[in-house]
Amino acid sequence: MEYAIEAQGLTKSYGSLVAVDHVDMEVPAGTVFGLLGPNGAGKTTIIKVLTGLSNITSGQAKVAGYDVVRQPLHVKQRVGWVAAEVILDDDFTAWENLWLQAKLQRLTDWKERADDLLTYFELTPRKDDRVSSFSTGMRKKLEIALALLHQPEVVFMDEPTIGLDPSTRRGLWDLISGVNREFGITVLLTSHYIEEADALCSKISIIDHGKFVASGTPEDLKSRVRADMVELQTDEELTEATLRGLPGVTEVRTQGKTWILRTPSSADLLPVLFTRLRPDKIRSLNVVRPSLEAVFIDLTGKRIEDEAPLHDYRKFYASIRRARQ
Amino acid sequence: MTAPANGEIRSSVRIREGSDTVDQRSQFVGLYWREILRTFRNPWVLLMTIVQPFMWLAFFGSSFELIPGGINSLKPLLCGANVACTAHLTSYTQFLLPGVLATSMLSVGFFGAMSSIQDKRFGFMKRILITPTNKATVFLSKALGSATRGLVQIPVMIGAAVAFGVTLQGTALEWIGWMAGLVLMGIGFSCFFLAVTATSSDWQTPGVISNFITMPLMFASGALFPSANYPTWMQYITDVNPVSYASLMGRDVLVFGTVDWTYLLYLAFFAGLMLVLGTLIAGKYLKVE
Repeated sequence: MEYAIEAQGLTKSYGSLVAVDHVDMEVPAGTVFGLLGPNGAGKTTIIKVLTGLSNITSGQAKVAGYDVVRQPLHVKQRVGWVAAEVILDDDFTAWENLWLQAKLQRLTDWKERADDLLTYFELTPRKDDRVSSFSTGMRKKLEIALALLHQPEVVFMDEPTIGLDPSTRRGLWDLISGVNREFGITVLLTSHYIEEADALCSKISIIDHGKFVASGTPEDLKSRVRADMVELQTDEELTEATLRGLPGVTEVRTQGKTWILRTPSSADLLPVLFTRLRPDKIRSLNVVRPSLEAVFIDLTGKRIEDEAPLHDYRKFYASIRRARQ
Repeated sequence: MTAPANGEIRSSVRIREGSDTVDQRSQFVGLYWREILRTFRNPWVLLMTIVQPFMWLAFFGSSFELIPGGINSLKPLLCGANVACTAHLTSYTQFLLPGVLATSMLSVGFFGAMSSIQDKRFGFMKRILITPTNKATVFLSKALGSATRGLVQIPVMIGAAVAFGVTLQGTALEWIGWMAGLVLMGIGFSCFFLAVTATSSDWQTPGVISNFITMPLMFASGALFPSANYPTWMQYITDVNPVSYASLMGRDVLVFGTVDWTYLLYLAFFAGLMLVLGTLIAGKYLKVE
């Protein structure tokens, strides 16, 4: 099987809202494929339709060689799933959660494998403890163990490290890489962490408003942006023409109150900005070097975390501080 | 750990190639036991399941305790022309016990629906349905699981009734028939609650439905008083109300001494109908989240 996941014209609508808009994708078997996009971009919806949790509005898709519309149970027997929010039965022990997963996947010779997985994820000493007493990292490990118990061909990981501290997140990256490397399992991973997709994925599709805006290896994508992006916020009244006329600026765009300037060298442009603009009016200046972040800004005109709730809180608190001053 | 061959599936029974049906027995057993284990691991749920009917028996059953003339003054109202009833009835609690047990099986549907909504709200329904498990299997496991949970209160209630001075009578077969009737009624109402809440993930829905149907079904049933004195419109409800038949069957065993087995047939019909309708509704409309 060349591709573990194939989709053509995949579309999912909720009434008038098109959550996934004519997506084509091919995920080679045995790879880690990343869907990178902000909250609400359609990443989780793609997982739902590929796993048969939601009906497809139009288009077609195959997972592990089976049609997700006509053969959903074939698909479900061959996929694992790790949710963004950890979903376990808190009233059960780790072992009982594995037992239930074995029942749901109709496994008979699962105990040895469950033991191996608990050992692999360093959970053996806690196997008979209720998972309500587990740390978030341990719960996430157990959830991955559940997803692997029936030896799936494809594992869907929906924002697997969301809400974890940086140390646990990096530990989980090693585990995800290991799952792919050691077990040969295809992983489709969604994330809005640029560095996560960069570290784990051999191929990435950037998704925004339900559409793939770019696909390729991380290096391919980064090579598209052979320039620095400078994000400028200023109280000075400026026009696009003024900024485009600055030496070193090759492109000018706006995102809300932020000017986005594309330049071959931010090191050369910054002195120009401070001499040609009013420095006392500049509120913020941010340089984004060639990276997936820069690719995302280049393609969508916004930062990936623009829609993250935390960002809104920061703005909210900043507005309170300003009001007090 | 040895890496398995890519794509190897160790499931005990492979899905038949070319079809998309799959044997659901393993999934049903897993989900059914999950319902049972969760009940016994949640002491508050267990306690409330037992305490609620116990309080009915203690408070309502004792309300006629000091009536002038005692139970003999109530016999014309409770027994009418039934000679066996008049002969065997020793307390209002004895008359009430079958009705309270039947009424308490109404509430098991509420707990089943709450369990289903909890699974939707916490994402567990997604975890289940991302495996080769049908929505109908989820429905059946919850319906039978909550009906089983309802059985927990029966021995406790009967023990409490004996403590309140109720004399037990009836043959083993009659008792088995009565218990089967209660189970069938529990299954029927569990299916009803689960079917009605299939499309909902709102915590309030089961409570609203429970409040809406419990009181009319309890009073229009003969669970607390004989239905002979009800107005005609209420007797129409009583005649189709499964609570009536579960109460009457228990009263046959405990008080009257002769059992009308058609009551059991009616309860089996009710359970069967609700199972079929509920399975069809849940199979089509059960919400994932």
